[in-house]
Amino acid sequence: MKVYMVLELEDVPGSLIRALEPISSHGGNIMSVFHSRGKKEEVDVQITFSVADESSLDLMKKSLEKRRIRVKRIELEGKRYYSKKTVAFILVGHVIDKNIQDTIDRINEIGLVSDVDVMMPDPSEKSSVWIKVDVDENKRDRVVSEVEKICKQKDFLFISSLG
Amino acid sequence: MKVIKLVMVGFGAIGRAVARTLVEKSGSFKREHGVELKVVAICEAEGSVINEEGIELEKILNEDLKKDKHWCQKKSIEVLKSVNADIMLEFTPGSIKTGEPGLKHIEVALERGMNVVTSNKAPLALKFHELMELAKKNNAQLRYEATVGGAIPLINLVEKTLQANKIEAVEGILNGTCNFILSKMAEEGIELQVALKEAQELKIAEPDPSYDLKGIDTAAKVAILANSMLGKKVTFSDISIEGIEKITVEAIELAKKHGRVIKLIGDVSKLRVSPRLIDIDDPLNVSGTLNAIRIKSDVAKDIILIGHGAGPRETSSSVISDVLTTAKDMV
Repeated sequence: MKVYMVLELEDVPGSLIRALEPISSHGGNIMSVFHSRGKKEEVDVQITFSVADESSLDLMKKSLEKRRIRVKRIELEGKRYYSKKTVAFILVGHVIDKNIQDTIDRINEIGLVSDVDVMMPDPSEKSSVWIKVDVDENKRDRVVSEVEKICKQKDFLFISSLG
Repeated sequence: MKVIKLVMVGFGAIGRAVARTLVEKSGSFKREHGVELKVVAICEAEGSVINEEGIELEKILNEDLKKDKHWCQKKSIEVLKSVNADIMLEFTPGSIKTGEPGLKHIEVALERGMNVVTSNKAPLALKFHELMELAKKNNAQLRYEATVGGAIPLINLVEKTLQANKIEAVEGILNGTCNFILSKMAEEGIELQVALKEAQELKIAEPDPSYDLKGIDTAAKVAILANSMLGKKVTFSDISIEGIEKITVEAIELAKKHGRVIKLIGDVSKLRVSPRLIDIDDPLNVSGTLNAIRIKSDVAKDIILIGHGAGPRETSSSVISDVLTTAKDMV
């Protein structure tokens, strides 16, 4: 998978090496490095490399952030890349009866429901349903507000995650 | 020795606990703080005990107020308008709809330039900025550490110790009764009603527990913290509230299965009270009647405070801290 990454580095000796290390240590095969010095104290460095999978790219990003290196942009196969986030919550109510397929479909329009765990003490009683959604970081709030809307319409209690 | 005259309005569990702590610690207040705290009036719904020379607290704690030789029919407002005192301590139970009777007590005291220390949430949850303005206008202090988190030094910590910080968020467990019930449900796999009954037997929950269970108590605290710590201009009605009454034992079990617990969280920056999932190893995951609060700030980062959020004796710690601070700041 081809990755294009723009980093903002301090214009001091050794900063480029510090930035390239996490890429190579997580299996990145660097194809090109381009940087231009401006008048600023920071330099934008454009790096193109190949990587085996998205989880390696996530590890690189985390490792760069740990080194306090600012990642300005990432493109994966030519498309803007966002880290995946997990949103987990529990719904309490007649979740199955009130068309659980519709609930999942509506969430899937924004992210991807990756786990559903149901506990139903009796068919006539309220069920409790754990749902996990994988979503782009920048769409997290949209998932939460869509679930809030669903809960209002279908009279569910929404127990969302803190943080 | 600085002599500070106090008026206590409301002599229920908290008022009595404060009186007990005053008796117990009066020696150390004199020695360590150079302050003699003298209670000159105690007001209850039916009348008051007034003695400008100082009421014998030890005696009054062991008898019916009405049997005291200084007992009279004077109502609290009348006393506040006439008595010569430095600080009013307001401990009445406040209605969250009107803030009364505490709101009127605080207004009357401040209008007279009397300093106020209170544990009463309702007046501040409803009229925070109005009361602060009134205090400022009359050159009086209004302190309220005991309104949130019982003994936990939350408001004073931010005011006195975190001055370099911008407070970005405050969130946490602000109601010990709900936390006791949710902890019991998780630990013993019991229904909410069973856990509630146990809480009532242990006097942790009131006979009418709706104020706690519906999240109203937490919301009043959220309103106070939003105004005082985040500089918002909000009132109780701006807080969105969902209590714990609809939580099932299955929901608690599901959370547990996936490494989480369910807690009633006051989310101050979002002006929201609702049951939330937190990681089992989150420092906010405290059990029993404990409260836990996370303050997120730009310089100090996260600070977690854990302590007893209720209980008359624990709350008296915050009240007396406010009294001593007020006394020291008095010109």
